[in-house]
Amino acid sequence: MTVRTAGAVEVGAGVVAPPKARQRGFYQRNVSRLRAIQSIAAVLVLWELAGRYLITNKLFFVPLSAVAGSFGQLWAKGELQVHIWTSTQEFVYGFFLSSVVGVALGLGMAVSRPLRDYLDPWVSLLYSTPLVALAPLFILWFKLGIESKVAVIFLLVLFPVLLNTYVGILGTERHLIETARSFGAKPVHIFTKVMLPSALPVIVTGLRLGLARGLVGVVVAELFGAKAGLGYLILLSAQTFDTAGLFVGVVILAGSGVLGVELLKAVERRMAPWRQVEVQD
Amino acid sequence: MSGPKLRIDQLSRWFETRTGEVVEALRGISLDIEEGEFVSIVGASGCGKTTLLRIVDGLIAPSAGQVLLNGRRIAGPGPDRSFVFQQDSLFPWRTVMDNVLFGLEVQGRLNGQARQVAEEMVHLVGLDGFERAYPHELSGGMRQRVNLARALAVDPEVLLMDEPFASLDAQTREIMQSELLRIWNARRKTVLFITHQIDEAIYLADRAIIFTVRPGRVRETLSIDLPRPRSLDVKLSPAFVNKVGYVWRQIEAEVRQSMGVAS
Repeated sequence: MTVRTAGAVEVGAGVVAPPKARQRGFYQRNVSRLRAIQSIAAVLVLWELAGRYLITNKLFFVPLSAVAGSFGQLWAKGELQVHIWTSTQEFVYGFFLSSVVGVALGLGMAVSRPLRDYLDPWVSLLYSTPLVALAPLFILWFKLGIESKVAVIFLLVLFPVLLNTYVGILGTERHLIETARSFGAKPVHIFTKVMLPSALPVIVTGLRLGLARGLVGVVVAELFGAKAGLGYLILLSAQTFDTAGLFVGVVILAGSGVLGVELLKAVERRMAPWRQVEVQD
Repeated sequence: MSGPKLRIDQLSRWFETRTGEVVEALRGISLDIEEGEFVSIVGASGCGKTTLLRIVDGLIAPSAGQVLLNGRRIAGPGPDRSFVFQQDSLFPWRTVMDNVLFGLEVQGRLNGQARQVAEEMVHLVGLDGFERAYPHELSGGMRQRVNLARALAVDPEVLLMDEPFASLDAQTREIMQSELLRIWNARRKTVLFITHQIDEAIYLADRAIIFTVRPGRVRETLSIDLPRPRSLDVKLSPAFVNKVGYVWRQIEAEVRQSMGVAS
């Protein structure tokens, strides 16, 4: 009794060759992506159904269609654009300022022993402190304007960026540094041509973690006191029992978060295709 | 100027461990290497052979003695020596071409000719068409070819090779040995090659130096008078097999002694 796999081709005298390569269809090639879309679509449908038939009290939950309707109304009134623009400004200032300072301090700590020794206790202390707790204080200091939000976002973004920069530089493979030394590379070359490129993907990972924390910062800072912004929209909607409006804010924040994180992940993959490990927060 | 290309003179090296113990790696190594000579050092692991190579490259300083290149004392890494490492030491973010250019780049020699030199080296090691590939896209054997091209691109006087084929599979290793001889034949650099593989040490070298175990000392120097160019078939000749057997008995005695096992 011989075995013959389906699709095998007889090439003569009982000798069997493997089948010709099959063209893999669109579905097979994109199976993971398609499943993700299926999953999201299913949850959105469930959301709509649950909102219509399961939890009918509009105070607790609203169907997706109501959120979309509220989105349309807020947009038509021009209110939503103001909220989005306000939060975007706060985030952009806070995130970029923090990225620059975080990368600079991280690099400084990696190359300077004294700087590391002086900063290390503060970094350890502040990294494990829930810094959002300082948000009310910043509102007191900087009033309701943009500065108080930028300050909160700045602090939240700073530490993941700083620590990943620092760890990225220190994590440079020792034998790569030695290789550079054996070619007579000066310390400045070792830093710019070995340590920095080696750390760059890790720094981007830090930025990605910082981005997610920064979005939390936007909402929390605005919850404690603001005149506009997506966090403010959420707070206002909750206070006026406008659950649909609340969801508009949440959905926009979630969407921007996913977009930003995926963007930076793509940058990471592009910059370091040899790196297979996924870094987690 | 007469005298050897490379002179290792009464070289000793010891290390102090964290607990303050002193570990002796090399004791009183003296060795002269002529211009264009291929010398291999063979010894069991722990005989300090890598330490010797790192001292000659200038990565670490000797505890006693000195190394002279063209009669001048070595004080640190220099463009006159290139090191080919055992591990994968290519920069993963650089293409083959940019890896090969690295030495010229940090030595400030990135002029109009550099790219041409690098292309020549890529061709010499047989990697035409892979100039823009990244190391992770290459096999182990190909990566060591790039490593060799990078070391040769700076046109060093001495090539220091630290078990460059140790991590390759047996067949690839054999091929790379014959490739190395082909390349060496084309360039005739002075080579100091370190290995624990006896047949490799004999096949490649003009002289094989057998090291003792901990501390590393020169146990015996063996002239390899097999005719060149050598094809891999040389390994089947009685003269070759005899030499392998002889060196193996020397090293076996060393290892047994260090393990406290009677021979």
